[in-house]
Amino acid sequence: MDSKDSTLLKQRPAVSPPGAASRRRSRLTRIATPYLLLLPAAFLYAVFIVYPIFRQFDISFFNWHIFPGVSNPFVGWTNYSRIFHDPAIRTAAENTLLFLVITVPIQMALGLAAAALVTDRLPGRGLWRALIFLPVVTSWVVVSYVFAYIFGLQGGLANAIISIFAGHTVRIDWLAQTWTGNAVIWIVSIWKGVGWSFIMFLAALDGVPRDLVESARVDGASEPRIWRHVVIPNIRPTITFVSVLLVIGASQVFTQVFITTGGGPFGSTGVLLTYAYQQAFSFFNFSYAAAIASLMAVIVLGLSILQIRLMRRNHNS
Amino acid sequence: MRINRAIRGRTGTVARLFVAFSALVFGGTLFGIANTGAASAASKPKTVTLQYWSTYNTADKEASTIANVIIPKFEKENPGIKVKSVIYPYSDLLNKFIATSAAGNPPDVMRSDIAWVAQLAGQGIIQNVGGLKGFSAIKKDALPGPLLTTEVKGKFYAYPDDTNTQALYWNKADFAAAGITSPPTTITQMLADAATLTVPAKQQYGLGVDGTDIWNMAPYVWSMGGSFTNAKYTTASGFMDSSATQTAVSTLLTALKAGYIGSDFQGGASAVSGEAGFPKGEYAMYIDGPWAINTYAALSPVPSYGIAPFPSGAGGSHSTVGGEDTVVAKNGKHIAAADKFAAFLASPFAQLAMAKQGDMTSFKTDSAAEVKATPSYKVFATQLLTSKIRANSAGYSALDTAWSNVMGQILAGGVTVAAGLATATQEANSALAGS
Repeated sequence: MDSKDSTLLKQRPAVSPPGAASRRRSRLTRIATPYLLLLPAAFLYAVFIVYPIFRQFDISFFNWHIFPGVSNPFVGWTNYSRIFHDPAIRTAAENTLLFLVITVPIQMALGLAAAALVTDRLPGRGLWRALIFLPVVTSWVVVSYVFAYIFGLQGGLANAIISIFAGHTVRIDWLAQTWTGNAVIWIVSIWKGVGWSFIMFLAALDGVPRDLVESARVDGASEPRIWRHVVIPNIRPTITFVSVLLVIGASQVFTQVFITTGGGPFGSTGVLLTYAYQQAFSFFNFSYAAAIASLMAVIVLGLSILQIRLMRRNHNS
Repeated sequence: MRINRAIRGRTGTVARLFVAFSALVFGGTLFGIANTGAASAASKPKTVTLQYWSTYNTADKEASTIANVIIPKFEKENPGIKVKSVIYPYSDLLNKFIATSAAGNPPDVMRSDIAWVAQLAGQGIIQNVGGLKGFSAIKKDALPGPLLTTEVKGKFYAYPDDTNTQALYWNKADFAAAGITSPPTTITQMLADAATLTVPAKQQYGLGVDGTDIWNMAPYVWSMGGSFTNAKYTTASGFMDSSATQTAVSTLLTALKAGYIGSDFQGGASAVSGEAGFPKGEYAMYIDGPWAINTYAALSPVPSYGIAPFPSGAGGSHSTVGGEDTVVAKNGKHIAAADKFAAFLASPFAQLAMAKQGDMTSFKTDSAAEVKATPSYKVFATQLLTSKIRANSAGYSALDTAWSNVMGQILAGGVTVAAGLATATQEANSALAGS
């Protein structure tokens, strides 16, 4: 800084020139506005998501009673250790895993296929989009009850249709048998969930550069090769995103099981969350239920991180 | 300055007057309120309103008897205590009681299924009534079985209310058609009769078993010498997986496979309960409680049936103690009034009035009068002498679910009896340890 500059600095008035304060205020407003807008959502997130998660972990280390004032002794890892020695949880864990393995790939495949079919050239594209997405916006409770009626023994639509094709009255007690009960849970979940993957993939496919696809086509690449080498690599982030969220969602399967089969017959279609619910609200083992839910949260988090890393590694390689 | 002083002076005077006036008005109001309160307190005794929750049946006279006979009599005898009765469906009551307890606003008194008492005591949400005046007065007259259902780890958490047990209902017409003259007295005979009474062409099963839970299966298991837990309800090992229990389960499994036991055993949407199927001729025999008498009396035509004690096996003739107890919410505002009301429900007046509606008495003094008024209770009263209570443990629900689920798998052929009972024992131990 030369002497001229320092003179200028010295000559700068002590009080900010008119307008500087309002500029500062507007800058402050600009910075603060997004935070202020986020505040209600952040507050709700903190109260209804963050706090319950921490509270759940907290409860899992105590022999917790619901009644205020009753002593809740600290039991350390006892509830977690019980999970590994509880034979009843095995069926619930197996059913959850089976649900995940069956519904996630099918939802992704059907969603992608539907997105590929509903192209710009398809007449009534908007209508198709709305129809496929419609189940997503319906209530889980309503849909589960509807499917319970469809697959009901008395006057169920499924048995009526099968009876027409069979030529005689068919009475399958879908919800009272293990495999048919599980199948109904998978069907309702896939039917309701496929629209979400569809809309995600539809947006991703719209983002695939058309010139790339066209140039591949001009170079003589077949459709499967175009999909394999052009489309899929371009929508890989969406595939990762969809698969991670579907895995998280599948691990949290509850409503459709609770309403359609209630976990029956004899607990054979129960999943981890219905088991945790039963422990909490039927047996009043709140701490044990909290331990199951906490362990699930950790496993799902780990699974999601693993998925993202694997996808990233594949992408890089 | 002078003006200011004058203003200040005037202001001060006004202010002083205002304060004096306010004090008079406010003080007077306070005095008036206090006086009115004192006057009303002197003229009217303070009324306590008890909230009483139950699952009384509104379809018959059970609910109306409590509302129109018992509560008015109690209120007349206890001026100053009002009872507000609220009836919930059975499936809702327990969770509503838990939720309101957690919120610090439970009902004062609840008529609880005997199977819930230990669970509620384990959660610390019901009063230990052992030291209360009303409980002490009724305790000595209680029948041993019902009294045991109120005791958890040596402390009393409920007042016995009504009791019941199951006995064998047999269809006289079906027996006559099969050439059988009397109901079976042994389990061996019962199964032989079940085979004779099974007529597939008529869709008639010899025996109906209403489910795989302990309430329905215990009479068979106990009477064949099996058991579920030790006497202190701390372990199932050596009891639930004992050879006698295995024999009992295998015997029922064999009868089911042979087609002598109906659809209700395994459940499902097509299953017909014993109470629905028996009068229609679907089951020639099944076990049920005394309430079925009123149900069948209301039918037209009234089915021709008899009631006999549960047949004996290697372990004797044992049925399951059922019924309800009265519990008082912990830390309630009206414990003394609640104690009075719970004890009144156990009084001969209330017990005999409810006995006429199908709720058998839990008290020795009233037993004879009850059987005299309703002779068909005699077989149940006799059966109660050897009936057993289910595990009185906070882990009972979990244990019952474990047993029921494993039984379902065994009956469906998914697992052998021995392996299934080993799993059930492990799960039951986990439930008992968790409680």
